[in-house]
Amino acid sequence: MARETMSRKGSDNVYLHKDFHGALSAGIDYIDRNFGEEAVREYLRRFVRSFYAPLIEDVKQRGLVALREHFEEVYAIEGGEVKIECSDTELVIRVAACPAVKHMREHGYTVARLFVETTRTVNEALCEGTPFTAELLEYDDETGRNVQRFTRRGR
Amino acid sequence: MIPCTDFVPAYSELFKFLEERGGKDAVLGFWHYLSDNFLGNLAELVGEHGIRGCWLYWSHTLNEEAADFTMELDEEKGEFTLTMNRCPSKGRLLEYEHFEPYPDYCRHCDVLYRRVLEPMGYEYLYDMSDCGNARCQLTVRRKGR
Repeated sequence: MARETMSRKGSDNVYLHKDFHGALSAGIDYIDRNFGEEAVREYLRRFVRSFYAPLIEDVKQRGLVALREHFEEVYAIEGGEVKIECSDTELVIRVAACPAVKHMREHGYTVARLFVETTRTVNEALCEGTPFTAELLEYDDETGRNVQRFTRRGR
Repeated sequence: MIPCTDFVPAYSELFKFLEERGGKDAVLGFWHYLSDNFLGNLAELVGEHGIRGCWLYWSHTLNEEAADFTMELDEEKGEFTLTMNRCPSKGRLLEYEHFEPYPDYCRHCDVLYRRVLEPMGYEYLYDMSDCGNARCQLTVRRKGR
């Protein structure tokens, strides 16, 4: 029968708890089951409008480079094989396997039917009120492999 | 994608969304759903290792979350105590200047773990009195000792 103590400071570790992807997936699944598909999209739009408001303002000011920098940071944190190409009028992100889906598959978490919306709806909401529009050109439910494109409206 | 480092505000917004749609019962319903469907690893660890299962579970999660904490395990007493000096989740929510968090965010820690541990024969004591400063304490104790 042991007695043990463990103390840690926040600076002792890196903040990276990938099981959170599974918890978010469970949340999306819960909304889908109880409030329907459109409620999932509405929840994600509201999250983006509130939490990513500074990023959206940055996109209005600096254009696609702000989104490029955001996604470079996101995929640097999460890892994974990603190619990002950016010009003044187009940003294309090619993800070989979504790090969130990969983690969930490897650790036995259920990937919500509408987990794709954390890419599609989130990207669309990031473009609201900006001169840009988002499209999800390809998406594989099994791996999360995808191609995302942001372009200037009216092209 | 939403990176896992932005999960906490995403969850806070989810609680707000659910409360607007279905009141506090909708939030509580989700926490019950999450406890029943997402915390199987806590139940498995406690089922296999007894009170040490709490130590094993929170050792993993709190280190990955870069929490500032002290955990104590006393297997003879059948007791596990977690003192959170700075909760990484609540701490983050307090730092955002542009984002209004769900006011009862910390309550999910009371509901989720209690729902797993009490039916397994443990008391779950959770002190939320200093949650406003991202501090809390939880004690898990084997019943009948």
